[in-house]
Amino acid sequence: MTLSALLPTRKPWFWSFAAAFAAWGMLVLFLQGRGADEAVTASLAFAAFFVIVGLGQMMVITLGPGNIDLSIPATITLAAVVAMRVMGGEDANIPLGVLAALGCGVAVGLFNNVLIHLLRMPPIIATLSASFLIQSAAISYGRGLQVRPPQALQDFATARLYGVPVNAVCAVLLAAVVGVVLARTVYGRSVLAVGQNPRAAWLAGVRVGLVRSATYVLCAVFAALCGVLLAGFSGGASLDMGQEYLLASIAVVVIGGCSVAGGRANVPGIWGASLFLFLLVSMLNSMGLGAGFRLVLTGLIIIAVITLAGGEPAQR
Amino acid sequence: MMLKALATSAVALMIAAGPALADTADKRIALSNNYAGNTWRQTMLQSWEKVAKDAVAKGIVAEATAFTTAENQVTEQAAQIQNMILQGYDAIVVDAASPTALNGSVKAACDAGIVVVSFDGIVTEPCAYRVQVDFKELGRKQVEYLATRLPKGGNLLEIRGLAGSSIDEDIHAGILQGIEKHPQFKIVAAVNGDWTQTVAQRAVAGVLPSLPAIDAIVTQGGDGTGAAEAFRIAGRPTPIIILGNRQDELAWWKQQNAANGYETFSATIAPGIATLAFWVAQQVLDGKEFPKDIVAPYLTVSKADLDTVLAATQPGGVANVEYSQADAQKIQAAK
Repeated sequence: MTLSALLPTRKPWFWSFAAAFAAWGMLVLFLQGRGADEAVTASLAFAAFFVIVGLGQMMVITLGPGNIDLSIPATITLAAVVAMRVMGGEDANIPLGVLAALGCGVAVGLFNNVLIHLLRMPPIIATLSASFLIQSAAISYGRGLQVRPPQALQDFATARLYGVPVNAVCAVLLAAVVGVVLARTVYGRSVLAVGQNPRAAWLAGVRVGLVRSATYVLCAVFAALCGVLLAGFSGGASLDMGQEYLLASIAVVVIGGCSVAGGRANVPGIWGASLFLFLLVSMLNSMGLGAGFRLVLTGLIIIAVITLAGGEPAQR
Repeated sequence: MMLKALATSAVALMIAAGPALADTADKRIALSNNYAGNTWRQTMLQSWEKVAKDAVAKGIVAEATAFTTAENQVTEQAAQIQNMILQGYDAIVVDAASPTALNGSVKAACDAGIVVVSFDGIVTEPCAYRVQVDFKELGRKQVEYLATRLPKGGNLLEIRGLAGSSIDEDIHAGILQGIEKHPQFKIVAAVNGDWTQTVAQRAVAGVLPSLPAIDAIVTQGGDGTGAAEAFRIAGRPTPIIILGNRQDELAWWKQQNAANGYETFSATIAPGIATLAFWVAQQVLDGKEFPKDIVAPYLTVSKADLDTVLAATQPGGVANVEYSQADAQKIQAAK
């Protein structure tokens, strides 16, 4: 029996976890055993943010070719800025602030829907132009913002439950919910059906437009949630906090083994890919390589993982 | 109504007539800015607005408008500068997306007789002026400060800025020069924090497990509290973190100082350097001669003025200083 028969190499999520594990192994090897557990805790805490936005992006990309949400970074920033201002540093206002942030997410999602469905804009252009408007709103609203989050939110976002970061626990629960929704609910099955063939889905009685609209709103709400947690975790909201989540959200979807053509989602893969992205950068950083070399290696390794993971046999 | 407006503008002209000579009263200056999405840039734009509005009201210049491109991209800014040439501006003040990639557009502007003054993100095109702080000096100063605090030296963590930018290279080179002079310090790890707290926090948290005890962190500004959070969450003692004048960094310093007498060094380029570039452009239009490379002092915040600076800096902002026409004249006189 060969190794490949023992391992679930045909599962699309396998390679992202294998890559994450390999990156962790290299890191531990380099550390000579020191701080191996610390590295796991840190990667769980930071991967959680990638997972939250990645799940939203995954749902959108699963809707089929052309569907993508580029307004995630701006939504993260706006939601964080609004939440911090509504909370005003007071523990008592935390629920209100979280609600306001999620409200921002819903509003952004609905706005994206107006552009995509009413004005018939391609999602890539619609969400990009929406992101300019959202970022501008965050900038004008964010002037003079209360930077520090309330103490209780900060404590919560950086707390650990039996050594596991609380935000990672939240992200695992969220991933589980999304997994169940995709597999067991009408809405989830509809998302997959629309992604595989919107016409067939429509003929089968799926309300295609409604499913798409709901998914864009869901994605924006996840981004908003990420914004609030991130502001609590990193000690406040800043105008550039969402910046790096645009490419990261797409990268974790692709590395995680979801189909870019839509119709095939993969929840565990999002976790594997998020851990991998964080560990990869940490590993290269720990080895003390120069910035240029690090970026080249990051690119090459990601290409390698995607090539390996894309082992789906060619059809037709 | 009309009369009153006339009277005010007459008064404004009379006020302006003295120091400004009003030779540039019909000149138009444009600000070409490539990015607005962080606190430094926001503060910079506010400084520009304030000084430019005042200069227009006093009749020193006819117009001084700020233009910011939507995407932080070279092609877009190059097109923006081409448009400014067509619109017939007399001077263009530019915070450039790239030190070299805009040189074509900048040359075209110079050839059209337009004065080009770059600042912060400078351009290498020889016909343009460069208003800049000595970033190498800023890097050296960090190590020199640490040498006074830790005479025996120690392990340093270096947080660098955006890979590939001239500012990142210069500060890094300065830090290396400082370490050459104080070889008791050793950089045990370097990460890129992109001048952003969240990025810095993640990068630092990623390397922390691999690091021995860290005595101090050398930084580039905008990354200090991110590093502090990473150390706090990992349960490690807080090293001496060099700060970059951001309000959140200064507030954190004050809080730490109150709790345990924490001391550090905070310095960076003041966003108000845009206003110095504005006055240099105005003075050049007025016929004054300037060297092409103009070095402005960077802004240092010490423990003694922490409270005053914090009171004057809005939450989410950067400690700032605005320059006056007299400052530009002083630089010209010292040439």
